Amino acid sequence: MKIVIAGAGDVGTHLAKMLSKDRHTIILLDEQAEKIKTLEANYDILSVVGSPTSLKDLVEAQVPSADLFVGVTPSESTNITACMLATKLGAIKTLARIDNQEYLMPKNKEFFKSMGIDDLIYPEMLAAKEIVNSLKKSWVRQYVELSDGALVVVATKMRSNSPLCNIPLSQAFATNGNIRIVAIKRGDTTIVPSGKNQVMEDDIVYFITTREGVEDVRIQSGKENYDISNIMFLGASRICIKTIQELPKSKDIKVIEQDLDKTYRIIENTDNVLVIQGDGRDISLLQQEDISSFDAFVALSGNAETNILSCLAAKGMGVNRTIAEVENMDYIDMAEKLDIGAIINKKLIAASYIYQMILGGDASVKFLTLADIDIVELTAENNSYVTKGPLSSLSFPKNTIIGGVVRNGVGEVAVGKTQIQAGDTVIVFCNRNSLVDIEKLFK
Amino acid sequence: MNRLSIKIVWRTMCILLQFEAVFMFLSAIVSFVYNEPEFIHLIISTGVTFLFGIIGILFTRDVKNLQMGKREGYMVVSLIWIVFSFFGLLPFYLSGHIPDFTDAFFETMSGFTTTGATILTDIESMPHGLLFWRSLTQWLGGMGIIVLSMAILPIIGAGGMSMFTAEVPGPTKDKLHAKLDYTAKILWSIYAAITLIESVILWLCGMDYFDAICHSFTTMASGGFSTKAASIAYWHSPLIEYIIIVFMIMSGINFTLYYHMLRGRFKKLTHNEELKAYLIIILVMTTLVMGSLLIHHNNIMGTEKAFRYALFNVTALITTTGFANSDYTTWAPFVWTVLLMMMAFGACAGSTSGGIKTVRITLLLKNSYYEFKRLIHPNAVIPVRFNEKVVKPQLIDNVQAFVFLYLIVVIVSVLFFTACGLDFDNAVGTSISAVSNVGPAIDQYGPMANYAPMPPLCKWYMCLLMMAGRLELFTVFMIFTPSFWKK
Repeated sequence: MKIVIAGAGDVGTHLAKMLSKDRHTIILLDEQAEKIKTLEANYDILSVVGSPTSLKDLVEAQVPSADLFVGVTPSESTNITACMLATKLGAIKTLARIDNQEYLMPKNKEFFKSMGIDDLIYPEMLAAKEIVNSLKKSWVRQYVELSDGALVVVATKMRSNSPLCNIPLSQAFATNGNIRIVAIKRGDTTIVPSGKNQVMEDDIVYFITTREGVEDVRIQSGKENYDISNIMFLGASRICIKTIQELPKSKDIKVIEQDLDKTYRIIENTDNVLVIQGDGRDISLLQQEDISSFDAFVALSGNAETNILSCLAAKGMGVNRTIAEVENMDYIDMAEKLDIGAIINKKLIAASYIYQMILGGDASVKFLTLADIDIVELTAENNSYVTKGPLSSLSFPKNTIIGGVVRNGVGEVAVGKTQIQAGDTVIVFCNRNSLVDIEKLFK
Repeated sequence: MNRLSIKIVWRTMCILLQFEAVFMFLSAIVSFVYNEPEFIHLIISTGVTFLFGIIGILFTRDVKNLQMGKREGYMVVSLIWIVFSFFGLLPFYLSGHIPDFTDAFFETMSGFTTTGATILTDIESMPHGLLFWRSLTQWLGGMGIIVLSMAILPIIGAGGMSMFTAEVPGPTKDKLHAKLDYTAKILWSIYAAITLIESVILWLCGMDYFDAICHSFTTMASGGFSTKAASIAYWHSPLIEYIIIVFMIMSGINFTLYYHMLRGRFKKLTHNEELKAYLIIILVMTTLVMGSLLIHHNNIMGTEKAFRYALFNVTALITTTGFANSDYTTWAPFVWTVLLMMMAFGACAGSTSGGIKTVRITLLLKNSYYEFKRLIHPNAVIPVRFNEKVVKPQLIDNVQAFVFLYLIVVIVSVLFFTACGLDFDNAVGTSISAVSNVGPAIDQYGPMANYAPMPPLCKWYMCLLMMAGRLELFTVFMIFTPSFWKK
């Protein structure tokens, strides 16, 4: 597949890196040479210096023969213009990153299609959904629903009081077929576990289970559940507005924002929100606003340092759940070690969303923010290898786990004796590099 | 900003005078049809107005285009009411039906400002031509003289917006169209169309067509001049009273909402907080007045009658129309208080009514309520929300300044009237009535009485109040501030 990516910002670069490992032809187009030249040196991509809205530069970037054109520059109008030009030049499919929820409405889909824009992606919206998900369960680091909720992946950090700690996994779930551990993140490494591995304190463990099994996971990991009913937000950004709109109306919400115009904007777009004007880094202001009485603290200011530090301060003042938006890629690992409940990076979310759309059709991929592992949903075809016998009798590439099977909308966690049938949706956890090999097993 | 250009002001007003001449001529035709001797006085007045205007235009030929600044705009908008009243009084004065100059000026000013306060003691004896002119002055003043001129002739170029803003009541203005003259056209078309509908309905329900047209003019303008001394009570017809009630309520609604309704944007209507508040106020106050009538006057009122009287008087006063179907001065003092409050409130912004306006009342109520919340959360930003939008503090300041100014004007007026020898009830009633452009007040100046016995000095003061009230205080008083005259 030939993919042209216009805009080498964080989303574009991340996407290019991800896709180049999949043996696609990637062409990265950006006006600033220094942004893309280093990338070209380290990855198998072609970089073209030029404007995404110049016909000459688009032709130079081989848009006429492209299978997919992705417009992810910071400017919405540039993306839309570039996509329209690309379609007319001959690109088969186009995708534009936008900043406007109005465009996403279902009734406008045809309208944009007729203009030559096949797909739209709104990173703020995706990030908001992720935040809402992680606010639903206070003890969860990450919560991903698969196949419309038939199965879920839950990540949580292990404490010493968990009954799972320090016993081999083969014994851990002997009595419970509904839960399985699919990945363990220990320090900087991600382990795809086998029966012999053990869970240790401070690991971040990824479970696969059904919706009903989530409660078991909580008990097994020794976590206490508490409802999040009041939330403090720092920074009235667009993500913040979207998140509040997505949250149930019953939540008690306080927002701290310094800019007066932004406070007006959020008041206009939300209901029942108390907006405080002030600097979120000011500890005495946080205390004055009674931060310790809040169940959750979500830092969404534009500044990664502010978000990380204020989350730490909130944690110190007794807030159970903290979520920080960290747009600076270099800080993500560090922030994760710092005991912040969940990290949101809208570029990463956007990139994995686009990645998932590109693979499209028979496979959909979710990318876990913290662990270096992909969740892929694949459909087993007639007479494919995976349908040949129970899982225990099949062999898979290294570091691959079949997590679960969804048959007729009902999810089931995969165990050794599970038999895959043609037409089943199979949840596979694997390393990105081996994805192509795994896809073959399903054909 | 440049210094005020007298020539531009002069020329604009002379052009506007031509409009007045045209409408005066219309009245002359009515008079001619009824074969009345006053026809000749109307024609003379038309001629004088027309000639004066033409001479003024000829003298200012060197003004190439009417590029008005803010100052010229405010000056024109204020002066035009005085100038129009001055020429408008000629038919009454020349024909001898109002022999006193002060009275004639009062009557005309009361007409153009849609107040509806009258000095006539025997209205029925007036000839048709003059009655028609009297109703017509209200109709012209209702939607505004400047807005009318914008709708008919595109004579006013840049600077029109400030004049439009000065003349259309309410704290914020909606432009319905990118072009101001088109907006004015829409507003006047809706205004004229509703007036026409009302006159047809009134005619079908038993008024003769002359009365139907005159009353439609004064209902839609929320004016209140009637062709009968007994006002609407003359017909003794509940049907006519209910029809007038409906159209009075309509005259109190923001006219831009009718446009949205015609365009099928019903959401704009159902989501309009001001409209909701306006209807709720009418409902609550009607219940209060009705309750009082049933308790205090149960010997003469049935439920239907009490309801009709209450609704009619509440709507007549909240829309600042001032029609009468009964004499509320004979009712309990509680009702007077409610009705005085209605006079001060006024109906919606962008309607033809006067007073403080529902939007301002609602904004201030909300603002005061939020103040409690602000005291508890000193760091919180808690702006007032209206129609789902955040209202900037600057607008709240403006509204507060307006309401305070309104109060000051009322207090000063009460002082003035009591100094002139009026007693307290009358002073309070006439002050509020004049500044809100209602017409009838309480006590001696109730709906069945008239202003003829008022001392001449008070009448002139009333004229000033009516004009200031019609232009929502700021426009008129601005001319008296030093900064208006500084560079």
